[in-house]
Amino acid sequence: MATTTSTPAAPGAIERLQPRSEGQWTVVFRRFRRHRLAMASLAILIIIFTASILAPWIAPFPRDDIGLNRTRLPPMSADPVTGQLHILGTDHLGRDFFTRVIYAARVSLMVAISVTTLVAIIGTILGLLAGFFGGWVDNTISRIMEFVATIPDLPILLILSAIMIQNADLIVLPSWIIGPVAWIMAVPNREATQVALLILVLASLGWVGVGRLMRGMVLQVREMQYIESARALGGSNVWILIKHVFPNAFPPLIVAFTLGLNGALVSEVAISFLGFGVQDPTPTWGNMMGFATSYMFNHPWMPLIPGLPIFLCSLAFNFIGDGLRDALDPRLKL
Amino acid sequence: MTAYLVRRLIQIVIVTILSAMLGYSLLYLAPGGPLLFLQQMQNTGQRRVTEEDIARLKARYELDLYLPIRFTRWLAGFPAGPIQVGGVNLIPPDTVVGCAIPGQVRLRYPDGTVEIREEGCVRDVTLADLAERRTSRGILFGDFGLSQQIARDRPISDLLMTRLPYTIQLMGVSTLLAILIGVPIGIYSAVRQYSRFDYAMTGITFVGSSLPTLFMGVMAILIFSVLAKDAGLPYLPSGGAQGIRNYDIPWIGTVQAGSTLDRTLRFIMPCAVLTFFNIAAWSRFIRSSMLEVLRQDYVRTARAKGVRERAVITKHALRNALIPFVTLLAGVLPTLVAGAAITESVFNWPGMGRLLVDALGRSDYTVAMAILFISTVLVLIGYLISDILYTVVDPRIRLA
Repeated sequence: MATTTSTPAAPGAIERLQPRSEGQWTVVFRRFRRHRLAMASLAILIIIFTASILAPWIAPFPRDDIGLNRTRLPPMSADPVTGQLHILGTDHLGRDFFTRVIYAARVSLMVAISVTTLVAIIGTILGLLAGFFGGWVDNTISRIMEFVATIPDLPILLILSAIMIQNADLIVLPSWIIGPVAWIMAVPNREATQVALLILVLASLGWVGVGRLMRGMVLQVREMQYIESARALGGSNVWILIKHVFPNAFPPLIVAFTLGLNGALVSEVAISFLGFGVQDPTPTWGNMMGFATSYMFNHPWMPLIPGLPIFLCSLAFNFIGDGLRDALDPRLKL
Repeated sequence: MTAYLVRRLIQIVIVTILSAMLGYSLLYLAPGGPLLFLQQMQNTGQRRVTEEDIARLKARYELDLYLPIRFTRWLAGFPAGPIQVGGVNLIPPDTVVGCAIPGQVRLRYPDGTVEIREEGCVRDVTLADLAERRTSRGILFGDFGLSQQIARDRPISDLLMTRLPYTIQLMGVSTLLAILIGVPIGIYSAVRQYSRFDYAMTGITFVGSSLPTLFMGVMAILIFSVLAKDAGLPYLPSGGAQGIRNYDIPWIGTVQAGSTLDRTLRFIMPCAVLTFFNIAAWSRFIRSSMLEVLRQDYVRTARAKGVRERAVITKHALRNALIPFVTLLAGVLPTLVAGAAITESVFNWPGMGRLLVDALGRSDYTVAMAILFISTVLVLIGYLISDILYTVVDPRIRLA
């Protein structure tokens, strides 16, 4: 693993004299490109993500446009009144499925991204601290991690989010949380509270995995000679942590991040499906799936509409994680 | 070994109490509950609610006791009355442990608004009063109190017991099947690495372990129940553990609701989904740990000695490859009892996971907390068992 090549060399005379060399990330990307499924997954994810970002502009109908004369239309059918095309049909309240799926993509993907980012930040900081300083810091953090890891994930997630969401009206979140969440998810402010609560619940329990990973990496890196030489040069703890330990513990974090995205997406979908997550009318793939399954016996295409994006994203995150793992492993010849 | 076990048991007790505290504080912070119900009755004008009603209801759910007392009574059924040692009261029996009817102070603000604030206490609850109450033995001893919503006033342990057989049946069979199918697949994939079988299995298990069970469950119902029925093919009934009325299945004939055939047909899908998921995860695990072991020197030595390939794989490689698998199996223990909330909900299987979801849906948090508590304790026991099993399967490891 290269030590400091991740920082681009400054352009200058010295560089021109050296033989042309590739940076670490160029190598990684070149190796990643060979994983065809991962590249295809990346393309699919980019398409879904772009559609979700552009949701307010490309959606053919308003998000919550209820029409009781056009409920549960099959895909590619025309609106009985206006004659407009419902590409993916309509749901049980006559709302356009395509519109809701892309708005839901926004919520589901953004929840996954925010949760994983929060988890990565909290986990990295605590893991770095525990691994680097050892002693009572490590002891305290490790005991907390052990305790959180003991509690079964799904039950505690369900209980926490059920308690939070069922009383969302009683919980007042500061506007500096609500504002950005509402903006990112493209939902009105009053709907943003439950989304923010769900993000907080998922993040508050999810960081242990990253924390353990980072702690382990630091314990390995800490004993390396370049850390010793950095210390000999008079480097402070913070400087060594940021400049030397973190970059070297970084590659596995990327893989964990990708797989974490899948974990967060699936958790959000499951919780919303069971009715304890984001509530209708805010669409997410999970709560759309929940409604669709109750109509599936007479309208078998309905669960497929939120189901396929879940399927695609879930597989895509896993393939990308797999591809990144291979690309980042220097021992593996590709 | 004994010293190790004692230390571990102490640790388990500490973590158990900690998780009980966590659960209880969640319960305590959760709004809603029986008082809200009473308030709604008053608001809708169904019934005039007196102070006495509130006090009685509070006493019933112990809401009139101070939090620490309430917690210890919930945890271990203590104190159940005056604390006595050999007939002598340790603490005076008239010690106040709670407040039955809080005093109300009416505050009138200059702008005309009136706020009623609870202050002081009109009627106290003393230690002696506790002796007259029905006291639970405490959750540490398996008494989880009464359900509040899901089955009014039935003991939660009864409720759990009616669900437990279904969960154990589902999880037990699927775990067993997954081991019986997944382990051989993993071994064969590793032994024939890069063969067609290996590629096919690696592909299938990768997809299988990355798909959410929710998606697989819904797709299974869609294909084997809905589409098969629409196409006039034999289909699998979905939803519940047994049918309500008889139904016809092509090629099989009429199925009696509640018969063994009915139950079996309804069991197939949830079991298959869980089994598939576990096969995918476990065969990948076994494959990689087998590959690791097959590279070891002692395997090469065994082959060089002329040991038959079958013996090399079963005696030398597999025994070592199974060691890390043991830890994985320890994780199964809590799911055997706590069930799989998502799969059970998708298939409407009346197990523990479904009970958890139902309880949460109706804000019956005590039931949910009981399930959480039981599964946490089982996780701890699972860890302990896996550590002990480690020494059994691998004599090199000594616990100290």
